[in-house]
Amino acid sequence: MHPQLELLLELQDLQTQRRALEDDPLRDMEEAVFELRPAEALDLLQVKIAEVIDRLEPGIRRRYMDLAGNLDRAVAPVLNGICYGCFVATPTAWASEAGRNDHIGVCDYCGRFLYYVD
Amino acid sequence: MQLRDFFTLDAINLDLESETKDEALKELVGLLGLDEKSRGILFKMLKRRENLGSTGIGRRIAIPHCRSLVVNRLRVAFGRKLSGIDFDAIDKKPVQHVFLIVAPPLEVSNQYLPVLGRIAQFGKEPDVPERLAELQRPEEFIALLEEKGV
Ligand SMILES: [Zn+2]
Repeated sequence: MHPQLELLLELQDLQTQRRALEDDPLRDMEEAVFELRPAEALDLLQVKIAEVIDRLEPGIRRRYMDLAGNLDRAVAPVLNGICYGCFVATPTAWASEAGRNDHIGVCDYCGRFLYYVD
Repeated sequence: MQLRDFFTLDAINLDLESETKDEALKELVGLLGLDEKSRGILFKMLKRRENLGSTGIGRRIAIPHCRSLVVNRLRVAFGRKLSGIDFDAIDKKPVQHVFLIVAPPLEVSNQYLPVLGRIAQFGKEPDVPERLAELQRPEEFIALLEEKGV
């Protein structure tokens, strides 16, 4: 896997976690069952998110920031050739190859970074 | 929806080798049959969740959980370590029973929250920690879920 794609995945997973703690019903469960303090947890997550963004290469970081500013998520999984950001089939040439996550690919339609899930 | 529909026998380990929380998380992730990179990313995310606050809910039970892009559907696993693992649990007691739950960020059927809730509910049943400790075979774990109707 491309090291920068790995960072993008991490970043997207952190953003998912952050969003869940902000407004998801999960937040209630985290408080009730796990005694998590959402405000503190969100602060910690923000620090982690900023750290990972710092580790992106400048070009990728710029694109990430653009996407993250405009779309609900900047990295989309691809399952069975469909981008789950925009739900359009991705015609990318290397989509069926092994090692397809060794590239930084973007969706031709929505522009999101793509991660191919097995 | 029944919990038993989500657990497969190969994702139930009644005799974890792990001695530490990190090892246990890795061992449980290992039960999901993912490639090495995905396992690494998932472990990192689970650790991040633990760093926000332990998922050890007391009564020797822990429920590590997260959403991640590396899985394509909701996955669960169960691991047991009778000698106990320090999980920094709410009640500060060692954990014997670990339920792992991971789900993709987007699920069509949105099962992550209900499954998490059911496992938490199952863990709160008074006799469950004891019953889990008595299990001899993975099949009995499934049978216990059925018996409890979760
Ligand atoms: Zn797309």
